[in-house]
Amino acid sequence: MTPVQFSFTTAFILGLMGLTFHRTHLLSALLCLEGMMLALFVALSLWTLQTEVTNFSAAPMLLLAFSACEASVGLALLVATNRTHGPNQLQALNILQC
Amino acid sequence: MSPLVLVVLLSSLGLGTAMTFASSHWLLAWMGLEINTLAILPLMAQQNHPRAMEATTKYFLIQATAAAMILFASTTNAWASGQWDITYPSHPVTATITMAALAMKIGLAPTHFWLPEVLQGVSLTTGLILSTWQKLAPFALILQVANYTPPYMLTALALCSTLVGGWGGLNQTQLRKILAYSSIAHLGWMILVAQMAPQLTLIALITYIVMTTAAFLTLNNMDATKTATLASSWTKSPTLTAMACLVLLSLGGLPPLTGFLPKWLILQEVTNQGFIPTATVMALSALLSLYFYLRLTYAMSLTLFPHTFNSVTPWRMTAKRPTLLLSTTIIMTTCLLPLTPSALTLLI
Amino acid sequence: MVYFAFMLLVGLVLGLVGVACNPAPYFAAFGLVVAAGMGCAVLAVSGAPFLALVLFLIYLGGMLVVFAYSSALAADPFPEGWTEVTVFEQLAFYLLGVVAAGLYFGKHWYTLFVGMVDSCSKFFTIRADMGGVVAMYGSGGFMLVFCAWVLLLTLFVVLELVRGLSRGPLRAV
Repeated sequence: MTPVQFSFTTAFILGLMGLTFHRTHLLSALLCLEGMMLALFVALSLWTLQTEVTNFSAAPMLLLAFSACEASVGLALLVATNRTHGPNQLQALNILQC
Repeated sequence: MSPLVLVVLLSSLGLGTAMTFASSHWLLAWMGLEINTLAILPLMAQQNHPRAMEATTKYFLIQATAAAMILFASTTNAWASGQWDITYPSHPVTATITMAALAMKIGLAPTHFWLPEVLQGVSLTTGLILSTWQKLAPFALILQVANYTPPYMLTALALCSTLVGGWGGLNQTQLRKILAYSSIAHLGWMILVAQMAPQLTLIALITYIVMTTAAFLTLNNMDATKTATLASSWTKSPTLTAMACLVLLSLGGLPPLTGFLPKWLILQEVTNQGFIPTATVMALSALLSLYFYLRLTYAMSLTLFPHTFNSVTPWRMTAKRPTLLLSTTIIMTTCLLPLTPSALTLLI
Repeated sequence: MVYFAFMLLVGLVLGLVGVACNPAPYFAAFGLVVAAGMGCAVLAVSGAPFLALVLFLIYLGGMLVVFAYSSALAADPFPEGWTEVTVFEQLAFYLLGVVAAGLYFGKHWYTLFVGMVDSCSKFFTIRADMGGVVAMYGSGGFMLVFCAWVLLLTLFVVLELVRGLSRGPLRAV
């Protein structure tokens, strides 16, 4: 495992663990999701450079467009849950549980 | 919601699934899954009450995380092998991560916890889309990935799902949660044979989609989301109530009905391959699911909950809902078992 | 240059540790800004200045600004920084985990090139990332159409989600 691969893998797993284990704020969860997308962007770009597949360097930009969509939808959901559930604590999202 | 917006959303749902079906590159498959997720969100949230918003938020978080995990696994695979093909045999570790993410996307146990809550928060029509159409794109990926996933993982997911799907539904009175657990159990049956006989997975998926469409449309026609509402449904539409019992028993997998077809073939295949204990546990876990379907049937046909009607049949308007799809799927749900040889010939 | 890139990668991971250890959203957004800046720098020194610029403009300048703005709106009189006990525990846990994993996987790093191949790009007039952009606009028409479609779709999705019951701005029902 090269240092580059190690660092983006670690970054992604850290983002995933943050998203999984932390239940405080919805905003924190969305930030962790963005961190995962950042790790993926770096990974795709460096893969392009490493393998010299020139055509593939369009892929990180497509990824960035999609992650921007995800981020905006996440923030829209933040606004919507703020309206229905009050503060954006993930603990407050409990009216559907069994 | 404006019809034009609805057209954009529904066509994007179609676009996402079609992209995932057509792609051989992981990035395009991921893009299709993302479009699918984004397009369903406003449909889930269209009532704007807190439960719908909560369900939408949970669905979004789960699906976005699972999609990111799929892309991460394929990126790692590309770093190791330089390949982005979906069908290219990948490293076992990345295949495992991919399968775990796909299991999370469709709601297989042990990553199933979001499914009952999300289904409980949305309307029955959206629930129908969630439990049928939204499963197609992940299943297209599962069928391609299953070839090089560790077989023990698939068996463990399958056993876990059927057991959890059976046990979880026992304690519920809300029909949408019961249908969610039934979905988990059925997905467990499908994933069991995803490696040894993918065509059986396809048969099970098709019959599941038909049966669950019939179930959701029936409940939608009765406006029923609780067991207690089912109990007085015979006063409004007696024929539909009689057929609804058969639909539920077909979901449970009783022999003269369609639901028996996939269970029969899957059990036969698993036994032929020599996994006798697995087949036994799967067959026994179907009994758990059958229990809550039977309980619903009992509530519909044999008991009379206290109600406020003065007469035996209440005054009612003629139903205006379109029932073409409902009657078609009900007939397919109840009468398709004799077509087993044709299904086998077509798909195997 | 190799060691410089390595330090930047360490900075990227540290930024993510700062996000993952569950501080208040102010600090998490700051950690993500650090991580994104380090990611830009990694890409820039390893031979993809255009992708670094795209990351800087879109990710840092477009998305993270909105996140920082939303976290500034979060009404939290005593935000938990990284020095709070609960946060610090997790920070230490994640740091130890990263260091342990680094020690386990990094046994042979001193023999490896850090990973970026930028040695012969000086002799080309077309950089790898520029070539990708040319390819995207030249022959990747359908991908652009998909991207444009998903951006339009997101516009509708966001509008439908935040519209609510048309009963004004933020309120708790």
